Amino acid sequence: MSASRVRRLESAPRMAPRRAPARRERGRRWVALAALCVALAPALAAALPAPPAAQTLESAPVRNVEGTTCIGANDLARLLDATKYWHPEVRKLELRAHGHRVQLTADNPFVLVDDATLRLDDPVRSVDGEFQVPVQLIDSLPSDSSESRLLYDPRRSSVLVLPPGGVVGTPRVTSGEGVTRIVFPVERPEDAAVVARARAHFRVRFTGFFAGTVPDSALPAPLRGLVVLPSLTGCAFELRLGPEAGGFRIERDARARRVTLSFARAGGAGWEAFAPEGPPGPRRIRVVVIDPGHGGGDTGVSAGGLLEKDLTLVLARELRRELQRRLAARVMLTRDDDRALSVDERAEFANRSRADLVLSLHFDGFPGVLARGASAYCPPAVVGGSSESRADAASAAAPLLVLPWREVASRHAVESRALAEAVLSSLELRGEGPTRLREVLPMSLLGVNAPGMLLECATLTSEVDRARLAQSDGMAALASAIADGIEAWQRNE
Amino acid sequence: MRRVVRRLVIGGLLVAVLAWLVVRAQHQFEPPPPVVARPDTVSTGLRTVRLWFSAPNGDSLVSESRDVAESGVMRERVSALVAELALGSRHGAVSALPAGTRAVHVYLDERGLMTLDLSQAFAAEFHGGSGAEYLAVASLVRTIGDNLPEVKQLLLVCGGAPLGSLGGHLPLDRPIDVSDWP
Repeated sequence: MSASRVRRLESAPRMAPRRAPARRERGRRWVALAALCVALAPALAAALPAPPAAQTLESAPVRNVEGTTCIGANDLARLLDATKYWHPEVRKLELRAHGHRVQLTADNPFVLVDDATLRLDDPVRSVDGEFQVPVQLIDSLPSDSSESRLLYDPRRSSVLVLPPGGVVGTPRVTSGEGVTRIVFPVERPEDAAVVARARAHFRVRFTGFFAGTVPDSALPAPLRGLVVLPSLTGCAFELRLGPEAGGFRIERDARARRVTLSFARAGGAGWEAFAPEGPPGPRRIRVVVIDPGHGGGDTGVSAGGLLEKDLTLVLARELRRELQRRLAARVMLTRDDDRALSVDERAEFANRSRADLVLSLHFDGFPGVLARGASAYCPPAVVGGSSESRADAASAAAPLLVLPWREVASRHAVESRALAEAVLSSLELRGEGPTRLREVLPMSLLGVNAPGMLLECATLTSEVDRARLAQSDGMAALASAIADGIEAWQRNE
Repeated sequence: MRRVVRRLVIGGLLVAVLAWLVVRAQHQFEPPPPVVARPDTVSTGLRTVRLWFSAPNGDSLVSESRDVAESGVMRERVSALVAELALGSRHGAVSALPAGTRAVHVYLDERGLMTLDLSQAFAAEFHGGSGAEYLAVASLVRTIGDNLPEVKQLLLVCGGAPLGSLGGHLPLDRPIDVSDWP
């Protein structure tokens, strides 16, 4: 809530009439009510759920200094990307950024912004050696393209740097005549792009910061869900759509500053198609390639007398036994002894074997003693080039995308991610966690033309994980948990 | 006659008090007289930078703000960032860079591709798994991306030679898109 708004609320009681006692009594009630509202406003504002997008935006917390909401001058300088100059004789701090300058003086409400002098309602204070600047200043900072645009967000008690796309408002959902529409108020409609067109994960991306709220009422068909995703370059919305959705259309209205996303039950001319979906039902697995990491002179991580290259080989053999027992598939190891293999040799082995699934086994090591558990690395669900070009390609429905052969595993990114999630979920259930999933193409999948993942099965530098592996059935239990995950992926339930 | 004089004196006093009050009130709402700024006593400006370290449990990166001396030279700015990363966290996070890592050369082309040549220690002193490798690279990419917005891509080389990978888990032989490493 801005300072001026608070002042308006506080001034309301003074306007109450004072003639009759009854009126006076009523006036007192209003005064009490207004005072209560003022007192509860911050708590109510804090109780409202805040969208998660700010997690990825540059931001800084605010603090209350003698009843004034302030931001630290160091944080302000960081957000403005400014250089600080301190003049101790006159207790002035000057922030210079992109040709602009802001001059702050201790215990003084006057602030010099370029050539203009502003008078804030409250002075700049010096607390613990740092200037605390009233957030009121933020609205008066230069707003040209060279300067970062800041926004004070009272719900998150922080000041954040707006992305170039400005602000995205609350989407409005309407439905009628077989078409469901979502209207997004945005500052730069031309930047809106559909970046994923699967019904289960339909994503639209904006370059603005989402400052609204997600509709919480029942969504009309075919919409089944709408969530905000954090994004480094703005915000994105993920929609879940029912199978009755036949096509979609995105309209960008630059004059009205809005983007309308429409979904029709019957597709056809004028409507864009959704991404093809994989067939439901069990997946066919004929060949599984297990790749024990490291080997030979490349020992990998060593901790507590254990070598990663030995553990990966032992686990690979255990897992081969387990999978051969459970699946009607050939299970092959890239190495069955202690020798080093190059990345190319591992990829060639997998491709020659016509693998339906490649699992690269590793054990992690980390400098911090608190790190433990398993991690999976799978190809990101994008194809070649930078994020922007990918988004452009997606929005333009490019019929052909060329990617280098080394990134061929990206073709199987969706399947690989499903595999990683199934295996990590199984590890969590069997107490082998905590787990984490990272969408980065690992070395061991370079040039591999099959769904796959690099699995760091445990963290060797963790005493807890080492103790678990050292149990008599430690490796067998780990192999069994991984096999459970592969089976779940194969069932495709 | 005496009464007239008394009234005049009292009236004069009242006028003087009122005038004094008006002058004082006006003075309160006037901006302070401009202070003649003395020459800078600090020749170097300070810039608050944001550094990214690894969380103690290795799950993610956590940020810290720190002041470094402002420099207009790109190499010095990057060297300061890498040096601060190598110094480690002041708030319990874990430095993701191998010990002894420092920036040797920096080159930024007009398309925003930065080639960062790190000391031999970056590769030689690395002993972790893919988690440590991921966080070491992410720590560099994110710190440079946050503090030098003109950098769009980062190519890491080590001791003047191409670096295929740090620990054998993640490919580093190609430039990394800063926007792809959240």
